Amino acid sequence: MERRSFLKILAAGLTCLPLLPGPAGAKLLQSPVTTNRLRPPGAVPEEIFPAKCIRCGRCVEVCPYRSITMLDIRAGIHAGTPLIEAENIPCYLCMKCVDVCPTGSLRRIQQEETRMGLAVINRFHCAAWIGTILCRTCYDKCPYADKAIRLDQLRPVIDESACTGCGICTNACPVTVAEDRKAINIEPLYARAKVTG
Amino acid sequence: MKTAETTLGAKKTDGQHLPGRQKNHYGRLRLTVLTGAFLLIFINPVLNYYWHINFIQGWYQSFALGNLWFVSPLEGLESLLLTKSLYLPSLIGMVVPVLIALSLGRVFCSWLCPVSFILEIFDRLRKLISQKKYLKNTLLITKKALWFTLIAELVLSMIFGAPFFVFLSPPGLVGREIMMLAFFHTVALEGVILLLILALELFTRRFYCRTFCPLGALLAFIGKKRRLQVHVDPTSCTNCGKCEKVCPMGLLPNVGEGTSAYCWNCGECLDSCRHDALHFCWEEKGVCPGKTNR
Repeated sequence: MERRSFLKILAAGLTCLPLLPGPAGAKLLQSPVTTNRLRPPGAVPEEIFPAKCIRCGRCVEVCPYRSITMLDIRAGIHAGTPLIEAENIPCYLCMKCVDVCPTGSLRRIQQEETRMGLAVINRFHCAAWIGTILCRTCYDKCPYADKAIRLDQLRPVIDESACTGCGICTNACPVTVAEDRKAINIEPLYARAKVTG
Repeated sequence: MKTAETTLGAKKTDGQHLPGRQKNHYGRLRLTVLTGAFLLIFINPVLNYYWHINFIQGWYQSFALGNLWFVSPLEGLESLLLTKSLYLPSLIGMVVPVLIALSLGRVFCSWLCPVSFILEIFDRLRKLISQKKYLKNTLLITKKALWFTLIAELVLSMIFGAPFFVFLSPPGLVGREIMMLAFFHTVALEGVILLLILALELFTRRFYCRTFCPLGALLAFIGKKRRLQVHVDPTSCTNCGKCEKVCPMGLLPNVGEGTSAYCWNCGECLDSCRHDALHFCWEEKGVCPGKTNR
Protein backbone atom coordinates (compact mmCIF):
# COMPACT_ATOMS: atom_id res chain seq x y z
CA MET A 1 0.00 0.00 0.00
CA GLU A 2 1.17 3.46 -0.73
CA ARG A 3 2.09 5.63 2.18
CA ARG A 4 -0.36 8.33 1.25
CA SER A 5 -3.34 5.99 0.98
CA PHE A 6 -2.41 4.35 4.26
CA LEU A 7 -2.38 7.69 6.01
CA LYS A 8 -5.67 8.66 4.39
CA ILE A 9 -7.36 5.51 5.64
CA LEU A 10 -5.85 6.03 9.09
CA ALA A 11 -7.11 9.60 9.30
CA ALA A 12 -10.56 8.66 8.01
CA GLY A 13 -10.83 5.80 10.49
CA LEU A 14 -9.88 7.97 13.43
CA THR A 15 -12.33 10.66 12.38
CA CYS A 16 -15.25 8.28 12.05
CA LEU A 17 -14.54 6.44 15.31
CA PRO A 18 -17.05 8.37 17.45
CA LEU A 19 -19.66 8.08 14.70
CA LEU A 20 -19.77 4.29 14.89
CA PRO A 21 -23.37 3.06 14.79
CA GLY A 22 -24.99 1.19 17.63
CA PRO A 23 -23.78 0.73 21.19
CA ALA A 24 -20.07 1.05 20.38
CA GLY A 25 -20.43 4.59 19.05
CA ALA A 26 -22.86 5.65 21.75
CA LYS A 27 -20.59 4.36 24.49
CA LEU A 28 -17.66 6.42 23.24
CA LEU A 29 -19.57 9.64 23.75
CA GLN A 30 -21.80 8.63 26.68
CA SER A 31 -21.16 10.23 30.03
CA PRO A 32 -19.92 7.80 32.70
CA VAL A 33 -21.83 9.73 35.37
CA THR A 34 -24.77 7.58 36.48
CA THR A 35 -26.18 6.36 39.78
CA ASN A 36 -23.34 6.16 42.35
CA ARG A 37 -20.81 7.22 39.67
CA LEU A 38 -20.07 10.82 40.47
CA ARG A 39 -17.73 13.65 39.55
CA PRO A 40 -15.65 15.21 42.36
CA PRO A 41 -17.06 18.20 44.28
CA GLY A 42 -17.68 21.42 42.38
CA ALA A 43 -17.68 19.74 38.98
CA VAL A 44 -19.20 21.74 36.13
CA PRO A 45 -22.19 20.08 34.39
CA GLU A 46 -21.47 17.06 32.21
CA GLU A 47 -22.32 19.15 29.16
CA ILE A 48 -18.90 20.77 29.29
CA PHE A 49 -16.96 18.67 31.77
CA PRO A 50 -15.13 16.50 29.18
CA ALA A 51 -14.23 19.65 27.22
CA LYS A 52 -12.97 21.62 30.19
CA CYS A 53 -11.03 18.89 31.98
CA ILE A 54 -7.47 18.46 30.70
CA ARG A 55 -7.01 15.03 32.34
CA CYS A 56 -4.01 16.13 34.38
CA GLY A 57 -4.95 13.80 37.22
CA ARG A 58 -4.04 16.22 39.97
CA CYS A 59 -7.39 15.71 41.73
CA VAL A 60 -6.72 11.97 41.76
CA GLU A 61 -3.27 12.54 43.20
CA VAL A 62 -4.32 14.83 46.05
CA CYS A 63 -7.37 12.85 47.18
CA PRO A 64 -6.26 11.53 50.60
CA TYR A 65 -8.99 8.87 50.70
CA ARG A 66 -8.29 7.62 47.13
CA SER A 67 -11.97 8.19 46.44
CA ILE A 68 -11.30 9.63 43.01
CA THR A 69 -10.44 7.11 40.32
CA MET A 70 -9.42 7.73 36.75
CA LEU A 71 -11.22 6.42 33.68
CA ASP A 72 -9.36 4.86 30.77
CA ILE A 73 -9.99 4.65 27.02
CA ARG A 74 -12.95 2.31 27.54
CA ALA A 75 -14.88 5.41 28.64
CA GLY A 76 -14.41 6.91 25.16
CA ILE A 77 -13.90 10.65 25.13
CA HIS A 78 -14.14 10.65 28.92
CA ALA A 79 -10.84 8.79 29.21
CA GLY A 80 -8.68 10.32 31.90
CA THR A 81 -11.47 12.15 33.67
CA PRO A 82 -12.01 11.66 37.42
CA LEU A 83 -14.88 9.59 38.79
CA ILE A 84 -15.97 8.65 42.31
CA GLU A 85 -17.51 5.25 42.90
CA ALA A 86 -19.70 6.17 45.84
CA GLU A 87 -20.44 2.67 47.14
CA ASN A 88 -16.72 1.73 47.16
CA ILE A 89 -15.08 4.84 48.59
CA PRO A 90 -17.31 7.89 48.98
CA CYS A 91 -16.20 11.51 49.00
CA TYR A 92 -15.41 12.82 52.47
CA LEU A 93 -15.70 16.43 51.30
CA CYS A 94 -12.16 17.48 52.25
CA MET A 95 -12.26 19.79 49.18
CA LYS A 96 -8.58 19.28 48.33
CA CYS A 97 -9.31 18.38 44.69
CA VAL A 98 -11.26 21.60 44.26
CA ASP A 99 -8.22 23.62 45.30
CA VAL A 100 -5.83 22.02 42.79
CA CYS A 101 -7.93 21.89 39.62
CA PRO A 102 -6.07 24.08 37.08
CA THR A 103 -8.91 24.45 34.57
CA GLY A 104 -11.90 25.26 36.74
CA SER A 105 -13.57 21.95 35.89
CA LEU A 106 -13.96 21.68 39.64
CA ARG A 107 -15.20 25.04 40.83
CA ARG A 108 -13.90 26.37 44.12
CA ILE A 109 -16.93 26.01 46.33
CA GLN A 110 -17.69 25.61 50.03
CA GLN A 111 -18.16 22.18 51.52
CA GLU A 112 -21.88 22.63 52.20
CA GLU A 113 -22.49 24.03 48.69
CA THR A 114 -21.27 20.80 47.11
CA ARG A 115 -23.92 19.11 44.98
CA MET A 116 -22.42 15.94 43.55
CA GLY A 117 -25.85 14.37 43.46
CA LEU A 118 -28.81 13.65 45.64
CA ALA A 119 -29.25 10.66 47.91
CA VAL A 120 -32.41 8.71 47.11
CA ILE A 121 -33.79 6.01 49.41
CA ASN A 122 -35.23 2.94 47.81
CA ARG A 123 -38.19 2.38 50.13
CA PHE A 124 -38.77 -1.15 48.85
CA HIS A 125 -35.32 -2.22 50.03
CA CYS A 126 -34.45 0.04 52.97
CA ALA A 127 -34.58 -2.06 56.15
CA ALA A 128 -36.09 0.78 58.19
CA TRP A 129 -38.75 1.48 55.62
CA ILE A 130 -39.84 -2.12 55.07
CA GLY A 131 -39.75 -2.55 58.82
CA THR A 132 -37.37 -5.48 59.25
CA ILE A 133 -35.00 -3.72 61.68
CA LEU A 134 -34.54 -0.28 63.17
CA CYS A 135 -31.57 0.63 60.95
CA ARG A 136 -30.35 4.23 60.99
CA THR A 137 -26.82 3.78 59.59
CA CYS A 138 -27.22 6.45 56.92
CA TYR A 139 -28.50 8.94 59.48
CA ASP A 140 -25.56 8.21 61.80
CA LYS A 141 -22.95 8.46 59.06
CA CYS A 142 -24.27 11.55 57.28
CA PRO A 143 -21.88 14.52 57.72
CA TYR A 144 -24.96 16.77 57.79
CA ALA A 145 -27.08 14.60 60.09
CA ASP A 146 -30.44 16.11 60.97
CA LYS A 147 -30.02 18.45 58.03
CA ALA A 148 -29.49 16.24 54.97
CA ILE A 149 -30.91 13.08 56.52
CA ARG A 150 -33.38 13.24 59.37
CA LEU A 151 -35.49 10.57 61.00
CA ASP A 152 -39.22 10.67 60.50
CA GLN A 153 -40.91 8.12 62.78
CA LEU A 154 -37.53 6.31 62.94
CA ARG A 155 -37.29 6.10 59.16
CA PRO A 156 -34.65 8.10 57.23
CA VAL A 157 -35.80 10.97 55.03
CA ILE A 158 -33.58 13.07 52.73
CA ASP A 159 -33.70 16.84 52.60
CA GLU A 160 -32.56 17.89 49.13
CA SER A 161 -31.74 21.41 50.28
CA ALA A 162 -28.86 20.11 52.42
CA CYS A 163 -27.75 16.82 50.80
CA THR A 164 -24.31 17.21 49.17
CA GLY A 165 -24.39 13.81 47.44
CA CYS A 166 -21.10 12.77 49.03
CA GLY A 167 -22.15 9.12 49.11
CA ILE A 168 -21.05 8.34 52.68
CA CYS A 169 -24.59 7.00 53.34
CA THR A 170 -24.42 4.78 50.24
CA ASN A 171 -21.06 3.43 51.32
CA ALA A 172 -22.34 2.70 54.84
CA CYS A 173 -25.72 1.22 53.89
CA PRO A 174 -25.81 -2.46 54.89
CA VAL A 175 -28.40 -3.45 52.28
CA THR A 176 -26.90 -4.37 48.91
CA VAL A 177 -29.51 -4.53 46.17
CA ALA A 178 -27.37 -5.16 43.13
CA GLU A 179 -23.67 -5.12 42.33
CA ASP A 180 -23.33 -1.35 42.62
CA ARG A 181 -26.68 -0.50 44.23
CA LYS A 182 -27.55 -0.06 47.86
CA ALA A 183 -30.87 0.80 49.51
CA ILE A 184 -29.74 4.42 49.39
CA ASN A 185 -28.10 5.63 46.18
CA ILE A 186 -26.74 8.89 44.85
CA GLU A 187 -28.41 10.22 41.72
CA PRO A 188 -26.25 12.81 39.93
CA LEU A 189 -29.15 15.11 39.12
CA TYR A 190 -27.14 18.31 38.99
CA ALA A 191 -24.60 16.91 36.49
CA ARG A 192 -27.33 16.94 33.85
CA ALA A 193 -27.98 20.65 34.26
CA LYS A 194 -27.27 23.02 31.40
CA VAL A 195 -24.42 25.49 31.75
CA THR A 196 -26.55 28.46 30.75
CA GLY A 197 -29.82 27.87 32.44
CA MET B 1 32.60 6.98 20.68
CA LYS B 2 33.96 9.95 18.78
CA THR B 3 37.13 8.34 17.55
CA ALA B 4 35.29 5.30 16.23
CA GLU B 5 33.47 7.38 13.69
CA THR B 6 36.49 8.62 11.82
CA THR B 7 35.98 6.16 8.98
CA LEU B 8 32.56 7.62 8.34
CA GLY B 9 33.94 11.13 8.01
CA ALA B 10 34.21 12.73 4.61
CA LYS B 11 37.51 14.50 5.26
CA LYS B 12 40.84 13.46 6.57
CA THR B 13 40.93 16.07 9.27
CA ASP B 14 37.68 14.82 10.78
CA GLY B 15 39.43 12.66 13.33
CA GLN B 16 41.42 15.45 14.87
CA HIS B 17 40.00 18.24 16.86
CA LEU B 18 41.05 21.60 15.65
CA PRO B 19 43.27 23.47 18.08
CA GLY B 20 41.41 25.63 20.54
CA ARG B 21 38.11 23.89 19.79
CA GLN B 22 35.87 23.45 22.78
CA LYS B 23 34.13 20.14 22.81
CA ASN B 24 30.36 20.34 23.30
CA HIS B 25 28.56 17.95 25.60
CA TYR B 26 24.97 18.91 25.03
CA GLY B 27 24.03 15.26 24.49
CA ARG B 28 25.18 14.25 27.94
CA LEU B 29 23.65 17.31 29.56
CA ARG B 30 20.37 16.75 27.76
CA LEU B 31 20.19 13.11 28.82
CA THR B 32 20.77 14.18 32.42
CA VAL B 33 17.98 16.76 32.24
CA LEU B 34 15.65 14.26 30.52
CA THR B 35 16.38 11.66 33.18
CA GLY B 36 15.73 14.18 35.95
CA ALA B 37 12.46 15.28 34.37
CA PHE B 38 11.39 11.66 33.96
CA LEU B 39 12.37 10.67 37.50
CA LEU B 40 10.38 13.61 38.83
CA ILE B 41 7.12 12.30 37.41
CA PHE B 42 8.15 8.72 38.15
CA ILE B 43 8.94 9.16 41.84
CA ASN B 44 6.27 11.72 42.60
CA PRO B 45 3.18 9.45 42.35
CA VAL B 46 4.94 6.92 44.57
CA LEU B 47 5.73 9.57 47.22
CA ASN B 48 2.18 10.74 46.92
CA TYR B 49 0.58 7.34 47.22
CA TYR B 50 2.63 5.86 50.05
CA TRP B 51 3.55 8.93 52.10
CA HIS B 52 0.88 11.45 51.09
CA ILE B 53 3.51 14.00 50.07
CA ASN B 54 1.62 16.07 47.55
CA PHE B 55 3.74 19.19 47.37
CA ILE B 56 4.34 18.30 43.74
CA GLN B 57 1.33 17.16 41.75
CA GLY B 58 0.61 16.05 38.24
CA TRP B 59 2.82 15.60 35.23
CA TYR B 60 3.51 17.57 32.09
CA GLN B 61 -0.15 18.20 31.27
CA SER B 62 -0.47 20.27 34.37
CA PHE B 63 2.30 20.38 36.88
CA ALA B 64 2.23 21.97 40.30
CA LEU B 65 5.21 22.78 42.45
CA GLY B 66 3.51 23.94 45.60
CA ASN B 67 1.41 26.86 44.47
CA LEU B 68 3.34 27.41 41.25
CA TRP B 69 1.17 25.88 38.55
CA PHE B 70 2.03 25.10 34.96
CA VAL B 71 -0.51 24.20 32.32
CA SER B 72 0.53 22.70 29.01
CA PRO B 73 -0.29 25.29 26.29
CA LEU B 74 -2.11 22.90 23.94
CA GLU B 75 -4.27 21.33 26.62
CA GLY B 76 -5.05 24.73 28.10
CA LEU B 77 -5.83 26.18 24.68
CA GLU B 78 -8.17 23.29 23.88
CA SER B 79 -9.97 23.68 27.18
CA LEU B 80 -10.47 27.40 26.47
CA LEU B 81 -11.54 26.85 22.85
CA LEU B 82 -14.01 24.08 23.62
CA THR B 83 -15.69 25.70 26.59
CA LYS B 84 -15.52 29.09 24.87
CA SER B 85 -14.74 30.75 28.15
CA LEU B 86 -11.65 32.07 29.87
CA TYR B 87 -10.39 30.76 33.17
CA LEU B 88 -7.63 32.86 34.64
CA PRO B 89 -5.73 30.23 36.67
CA SER B 90 -5.31 28.11 33.55
CA LEU B 91 -4.23 31.12 31.47
CA ILE B 92 -1.68 32.11 34.09
CA GLY B 93 -0.46 28.52 34.23
CA MET B 94 0.23 28.70 30.50
CA VAL B 95 2.34 31.88 30.73
CA VAL B 96 5.66 30.27 31.65
CA PRO B 97 5.53 27.43 29.06
CA VAL B 98 4.52 29.91 26.35
CA LEU B 99 7.33 32.32 27.29
CA ILE B 100 9.83 29.47 27.18
CA ALA B 101 8.56 28.41 23.76
CA LEU B 102 8.63 32.02 22.53
CA SER B 103 12.27 32.51 23.37
CA LEU B 104 13.75 29.00 23.25
CA GLY B 105 11.43 27.14 20.85
CA ARG B 106 10.51 23.49 21.23
CA VAL B 107 12.93 22.87 24.10
CA PHE B 108 10.24 21.14 26.13
CA CYS B 109 10.16 18.39 23.50
CA SER B 110 13.90 17.78 23.40
CA TRP B 111 14.91 18.54 26.98
CA LEU B 112 11.95 17.56 29.21
CA CYS B 113 9.35 15.41 27.46
CA PRO B 114 9.13 11.90 28.98
CA VAL B 115 8.48 10.42 25.53
CA SER B 116 11.73 11.99 24.40
CA PHE B 117 13.46 10.35 27.36
CA ILE B 118 12.09 6.92 26.49
CA LEU B 119 13.01 7.32 22.83
CA GLU B 120 16.49 8.56 23.75
CA ILE B 121 17.09 5.47 25.89
CA PHE B 122 15.65 3.32 23.10
CA ASP B 123 17.99 5.02 20.64
CA ARG B 124 21.01 4.28 22.80
CA LEU B 125 19.97 0.65 23.25
CA ARG B 126 19.54 0.29 19.50
CA LYS B 127 23.03 1.67 18.96
CA LEU B 128 24.43 -0.84 21.43
CA ILE B 129 22.71 -3.79 19.76
CA SER B 130 22.91 -2.97 16.07
CA GLN B 131 26.44 -1.49 16.09
CA LYS B 132 25.18 0.97 13.52
CA LYS B 133 25.77 4.55 14.49
CA TYR B 134 22.96 6.11 12.49
CA LEU B 135 19.51 4.87 11.70
CA LYS B 136 18.49 5.22 8.09
CA ASN B 137 15.12 6.96 8.07
CA THR B 138 12.87 4.81 5.91
CA LEU B 139 9.46 6.33 6.57
CA LEU B 140 9.52 9.98 5.64
CA ILE B 141 6.68 12.43 5.57
CA THR B 142 6.95 16.09 4.69
CA LYS B 143 7.70 18.22 7.73
CA LYS B 144 4.75 20.43 6.95
CA ALA B 145 2.49 17.59 8.12
CA LEU B 146 3.18 18.91 11.61
CA TRP B 147 1.03 21.99 10.98
CA PHE B 148 -1.66 19.84 9.45
CA THR B 149 -1.83 17.72 12.61
CA LEU B 150 -2.17 20.79 14.79
CA ILE B 151 -4.96 22.28 12.72
CA ALA B 152 -6.77 18.95 12.25
CA GLU B 153 -6.53 18.25 15.95
CA LEU B 154 -7.98 21.61 16.98
CA VAL B 155 -10.74 21.56 14.35
CA LEU B 156 -11.76 17.96 15.11
CA SER B 157 -11.84 18.68 18.82
CA MET B 158 -14.00 21.72 18.29
CA ILE B 159 -16.41 19.80 16.06
CA PHE B 160 -16.87 16.97 18.52
CA GLY B 161 -16.78 19.22 21.56
CA ALA B 162 -14.25 16.99 23.27
CA PRO B 163 -10.49 17.39 23.25
CA PHE B 164 -8.82 14.41 21.61
CA PHE B 165 -5.26 15.22 22.36
CA VAL B 166 -5.60 15.48 26.12
CA PHE B 167 -6.25 11.79 26.63
CA LEU B 168 -4.12 10.56 23.75
CA SER B 169 -1.16 12.91 24.24
CA PRO B 170 1.94 10.73 24.60
CA PRO B 171 3.75 13.17 26.94
CA GLY B 172 0.69 13.09 29.21
CA LEU B 173 0.17 9.35 28.73
CA VAL B 174 3.54 8.48 30.24
CA GLY B 175 2.66 10.42 33.38
CA ARG B 176 -0.83 8.96 33.54
CA GLU B 177 0.40 5.39 33.13
CA ILE B 178 2.93 5.84 35.93
CA MET B 179 0.26 7.35 38.16
CA MET B 180 -2.22 4.56 37.36
CA LEU B 181 0.48 2.02 38.16
CA ALA B 182 1.29 3.61 41.52
CA PHE B 183 -2.29 4.35 42.56
CA PHE B 184 -4.43 1.58 41.11
CA HIS B 185 -1.77 -1.02 40.24
CA THR B 186 -3.05 -1.28 36.68
CA VAL B 187 -2.17 0.36 33.39
CA ALA B 188 -4.59 2.20 31.15
CA LEU B 189 -5.31 0.65 27.76
CA GLU B 190 -4.35 3.75 25.79
CA GLY B 191 -0.74 3.01 26.73
CA VAL B 192 -0.50 0.96 23.53
CA ILE B 193 -0.03 4.30 21.77
CA LEU B 194 3.36 4.53 23.47
CA LEU B 195 4.28 1.09 22.14
CA LEU B 196 3.22 2.23 18.67
CA ILE B 197 5.48 5.27 18.91
CA LEU B 198 8.31 3.05 20.09
CA ALA B 199 7.75 0.75 17.10
CA LEU B 200 7.76 3.68 14.67
CA GLU B 201 11.13 4.66 16.09
CA LEU B 202 12.55 1.58 14.36
CA PHE B 203 11.76 3.10 10.97
CA THR B 204 12.39 6.79 11.43
CA ARG B 205 13.95 8.68 14.30
CA ARG B 206 11.37 10.68 16.28
CA PHE B 207 8.76 9.92 13.64
CA TYR B 208 5.92 10.85 15.96
CA CYS B 209 7.61 13.96 17.34
CA ARG B 210 8.47 15.41 13.97
CA THR B 211 5.15 14.89 12.18
CA PHE B 212 2.32 13.88 14.48
CA CYS B 213 2.67 15.58 17.84
CA PRO B 214 0.17 18.46 18.10
CA LEU B 215 1.81 19.73 21.29
CA GLY B 216 5.17 19.84 19.52
CA ALA B 217 3.47 21.59 16.60
CA LEU B 218 2.00 24.26 18.84
CA LEU B 219 5.32 24.82 20.62
CA ALA B 220 7.07 24.98 17.24
CA PHE B 221 4.50 27.49 16.03
CA ILE B 222 4.93 29.66 19.12
CA GLY B 223 8.70 29.39 18.76
CA LYS B 224 8.80 30.27 15.08
CA LYS B 225 10.53 33.57 15.84
CA ARG B 226 12.48 32.26 18.80
CA ARG B 227 15.66 33.86 20.10
CA LEU B 228 17.74 30.74 20.65
CA GLN B 229 18.75 29.28 17.30
CA VAL B 230 21.40 27.01 15.86
CA HIS B 231 23.55 29.08 13.52
CA VAL B 232 26.04 27.79 11.01
CA ASP B 233 29.35 29.53 10.34
CA PRO B 234 29.82 29.03 6.59
CA THR B 235 33.56 29.77 6.73
CA SER B 236 34.36 26.82 8.99
CA CYS B 237 31.68 24.42 7.68
CA THR B 238 33.12 21.76 5.39
CA ASN B 239 29.78 20.16 4.50
CA CYS B 240 30.93 16.84 5.94
CA GLY B 241 27.28 15.95 6.55
CA LYS B 242 27.70 14.70 10.09
CA CYS B 243 25.08 17.04 11.50
CA GLU B 244 22.53 15.83 8.95
CA LYS B 245 23.05 12.27 10.15
CA VAL B 246 22.75 12.99 13.86
CA CYS B 247 19.79 15.38 13.68
CA PRO B 248 16.86 13.52 15.27
CA MET B 249 14.42 15.75 13.41
CA GLY B 250 15.96 15.04 10.01
CA LEU B 251 17.02 18.62 9.40
CA LEU B 252 20.09 19.92 7.60
CA PRO B 253 21.78 22.24 10.11
CA ASN B 254 24.66 22.89 7.68
CA VAL B 255 22.38 24.80 5.32
CA GLY B 256 20.79 26.81 8.09
CA GLU B 257 17.75 24.68 8.90
CA GLY B 258 18.68 25.15 12.54
CA THR B 259 16.82 28.44 12.37
CA SER B 260 13.64 26.89 10.94
CA ALA B 261 10.54 26.30 13.03
CA TYR B 262 11.15 22.53 12.98
CA CYS B 263 14.40 22.68 14.95
CA TRP B 264 13.96 21.80 18.62
CA ASN B 265 17.33 23.03 19.90
CA CYS B 266 18.55 19.70 21.22
CA GLY B 267 22.18 20.45 20.39
CA GLU B 268 22.97 17.07 18.81
CA CYS B 269 24.43 18.77 15.72
CA LEU B 270 26.68 20.97 17.87
CA ASP B 271 28.10 17.87 19.53
CA SER B 272 28.70 16.18 16.20
CA CYS B 273 30.41 19.11 14.49
CA ARG B 274 34.19 18.69 14.33
CA HIS B 275 34.89 22.10 12.85
CA ASP B 276 33.11 24.24 15.40
CA ALA B 277 30.85 25.55 12.67
CA LEU B 278 27.57 25.29 14.55
CA HIS B 279 26.63 27.45 17.53
CA PHE B 280 23.67 28.22 19.70
CA CYS B 281 23.11 31.91 19.45
CA TRP B 282 20.75 34.37 21.05
CA GLU B 283 19.36 36.19 18.10
CA GLU B 284 18.50 39.89 18.31
CA LYS B 285 16.59 41.59 15.54
CA GLY B 286 17.41 38.91 13.01
CA VAL B 287 21.15 38.94 13.60
CA CYS B 288 23.31 36.77 15.75
CA PRO B 289 25.60 38.94 17.88
CA GLY B 290 27.87 36.03 18.81
CA LYS B 291 31.28 35.23 17.41
CA THR B 292 29.90 34.33 14.01
CA ASN B 293 29.35 37.76 12.55
CA ARG B 294 27.47 37.24 9.36
